[in-house]
Amino acid sequence: MEQFLYYLKVSWVSIKRAPLPYALTIFILSLGLGVFFANATFYYQLNSDPLPHKSAKLFFPMTLMVPNECSDCPPPRVLSYSNVQKLSQSDIPSAKAGMYSADGYLRLDTKQAPTPVSIRITQPDFFKMFEVPLLHGSIWADDKARLELILSKQTAVKMFGRSDVVGEKILLDDRFYTVIGVLDDWQMLPRLYDANNRGHLEDADQVYMPLETGYDFNYMSNRQSHTYDYTDYRQLATQGRTGALNQLQFWVQLDTDAQQQAYRQFMSNLVADEKKAGRHPSTPNNQLIPMRTIVTYFGGESADIKAFALVTLLFLGVCLFNASHLSLNRYISNQYEFSLRRALGASRGQLQQQMLADVLLMATFCCIGGLLIAWGGVTLLNFLWPANSLFGRWDLTLLLLLLAITFTMSYLVTLYPSLRASFGGLNQQLKE
Amino acid sequence: MSLHLLIKSLLRRKVVTVLLLVQLAMTLALLVNSLLLAMQTRDKLNEPTGLNLPQTLQVQLKPTTPDLRVYPLLGDLLERQMAAVRALPGVKAVAYANQGPVRQGGNNGNLFDADAQERTNIPDIPQYMVSPDFFAALDLNLVEGQLPVTPIAIDIKTPSPLVLTRSLAEKLFPGRSAVGLKTNRAPVAAVVEDFFGQSEATKVTYNMIQVAPLYGVDWGYALLINTSAGNTEQIRQQLPEVLRKVDANIEVFYVRTLEEQHQQLYRNEFGLATLLGILSGLMLLVAMVSSYSNAHFHALKQQQEIGIKRALGASKQLILLELLSENWLTTFVGASLGVLCALALNKMLATVISLEALNWWLPLLCSAVLLVCVTIATWYPARIATSVSPATATKTL
Repeated sequence: MEQFLYYLKVSWVSIKRAPLPYALTIFILSLGLGVFFANATFYYQLNSDPLPHKSAKLFFPMTLMVPNECSDCPPPRVLSYSNVQKLSQSDIPSAKAGMYSADGYLRLDTKQAPTPVSIRITQPDFFKMFEVPLLHGSIWADDKARLELILSKQTAVKMFGRSDVVGEKILLDDRFYTVIGVLDDWQMLPRLYDANNRGHLEDADQVYMPLETGYDFNYMSNRQSHTYDYTDYRQLATQGRTGALNQLQFWVQLDTDAQQQAYRQFMSNLVADEKKAGRHPSTPNNQLIPMRTIVTYFGGESADIKAFALVTLLFLGVCLFNASHLSLNRYISNQYEFSLRRALGASRGQLQQQMLADVLLMATFCCIGGLLIAWGGVTLLNFLWPANSLFGRWDLTLLLLLLAITFTMSYLVTLYPSLRASFGGLNQQLKE
Repeated sequence: MSLHLLIKSLLRRKVVTVLLLVQLAMTLALLVNSLLLAMQTRDKLNEPTGLNLPQTLQVQLKPTTPDLRVYPLLGDLLERQMAAVRALPGVKAVAYANQGPVRQGGNNGNLFDADAQERTNIPDIPQYMVSPDFFAALDLNLVEGQLPVTPIAIDIKTPSPLVLTRSLAEKLFPGRSAVGLKTNRAPVAAVVEDFFGQSEATKVTYNMIQVAPLYGVDWGYALLINTSAGNTEQIRQQLPEVLRKVDANIEVFYVRTLEEQHQQLYRNEFGLATLLGILSGLMLLVAMVSSYSNAHFHALKQQQEIGIKRALGASKQLILLELLSENWLTTFVGASLGVLCALALNKMLATVISLEALNWWLPLLCSAVLLVCVTIATWYPARIATSVSPATATKTL
């Protein structure tokens, strides 16, 4: 320990002897790391797996069952109510849920000012599939329509001033509903169950309503809806259930390869039967997209973040070269001192230990500088790309990653110059 | 001063020179592509839209009670809102629409010549349901035909006649007048000048308009207001209050000029161009630090050599030129390598974002900028080196 402290002291004396080149090295390396880390934060969070133990078992089935003929068409990104019913007929999935989102206005009574809310209109399995935590109450027992809502914890607190509001009545648009459940704090990021039209970047919904109730009361999707026939979108309760008005997303949980294979077969049979019955003329095109690749499938990846990631990596490279350059100059300036220590009996191993002390000091300074610059970078990125603002947060894994990268960079910057200073011809170095 | 000696001097410091060359090459690559993206974004923001962007206001709003979202209350609400806005001083025209122009996507559908579906079908055309003053609100000039002056009644099933933009009419009915011809939706009543509809549509200037009631406003609707010069900001401030006085049961999402809407549309591109611009500035700074450090260290190491040259009669200017020339040579080689890096980076970026190919003059311009920065960074250490007297420089010999 004493020896280590001595090495640190020697490093510190060396820094004080020529502070400007050292400060420049630290500044440049911190700049490269900070800029890289700011963008890496978004890249990492946007590409993270919100359900790592389960995402491989969740799938979005899509089929080209539409009334008009279309050759080489991809299946629609949203499904009709009738197609979801057909895809739900199978018992192969361990869980299945159709869903969409709509807008509404919430209030306690007609005298209160309305609070705009986003409503997830879905089925009970949604909560099981995506592991949504329940704080109070329960989930709907079945898929039937009912005047019952589940609220997020924040919404319950905002509306009632407390979270335990099970059994309370609340006015959503023009109808009173009973609150039967309140969710615990929950935010699935990225929100992969709603990846269409970049919905994966958005915050969790505030209110949850049964799918059948949403259709009964004509709640239109606020994400995407597509009509393939003359279905009147204002008549969801009737025409919307039978016509080709597509607005639903549908998820199934298939735990094993055998289940996945069986469900694919089920989809093929279903589409073939429907075609035979003359309900769709197109060549079958079935897709069973895993949750991890759904954003890519929908083309919703953040191209700007990707492009900037490429450039920041380049910038980090430039800063690394520059810091190496500065470091090399600094070590060459100190070469006489290194040579003198070698002449007095210091081994190369001891000189390398000295280098490690240098690396440690440099990594500490760079870490502090890099984090400060990264914080500024994240703030700037949030300002310029507000759509991604939910993803500008750090967690322990990211911070450890930064630490590891900083240490590696500091080591790389110091390695060559110190080797050169330690391994050169002693006579020549002492003469210079 | 010979090129041979300059190269020899650089080769004496191989590692340092290589590090410097790599940095300069990468800096140029980034600088060139940042500038290209910035120019591309500027071109998008300056593209002709066919609209009076700064003087046209758009209010996006929605009734908060379900009964106000359907006729007859919706029709009454729209009339009262438009009358209140029309009464504001400086308002030239006001109209409702199911959606505003200058958007990424929205309500759209396909359109084809009723007599030639296979040949003429055009998908993804923005579809507007508007009040008759829509054309005055957007200052759209009539090309041919007659603009509908009253919306059809809500309970009449006959579709309203269509108004097409010029480019769409020409695409659908090439070489003939579109007026009176039938489409899959309705016959064409008139053709107006092109305007920017949706960036994700088949073509941004393709638009079809129907003077018709708003059949549903579950997604909200837009009020478009044409204002006289100098009054736009004042009207914008008043609008939320005026609309809430008409009926408090509304949510006003935003009030924007179409110019702001246009900037909003390209916000991501603008953001990326800004970030790359900042990064380019930082890279230039890093390159300058590198050049400064290189020149400073090199001058210190060469102090004796410089002293001998000075003692043998070399002028300060010649020494200064020699030191600068070394950096100019490094910059020239680095910039040449940088052009190759810029091409590679351009190709890589083009795989993830929409980016034009490089032109010939941008690398030249950026090389010149790089040269100026390197010269500024080298100047000070070079001046210091030349000011050392030959006696001091050679005293250790």
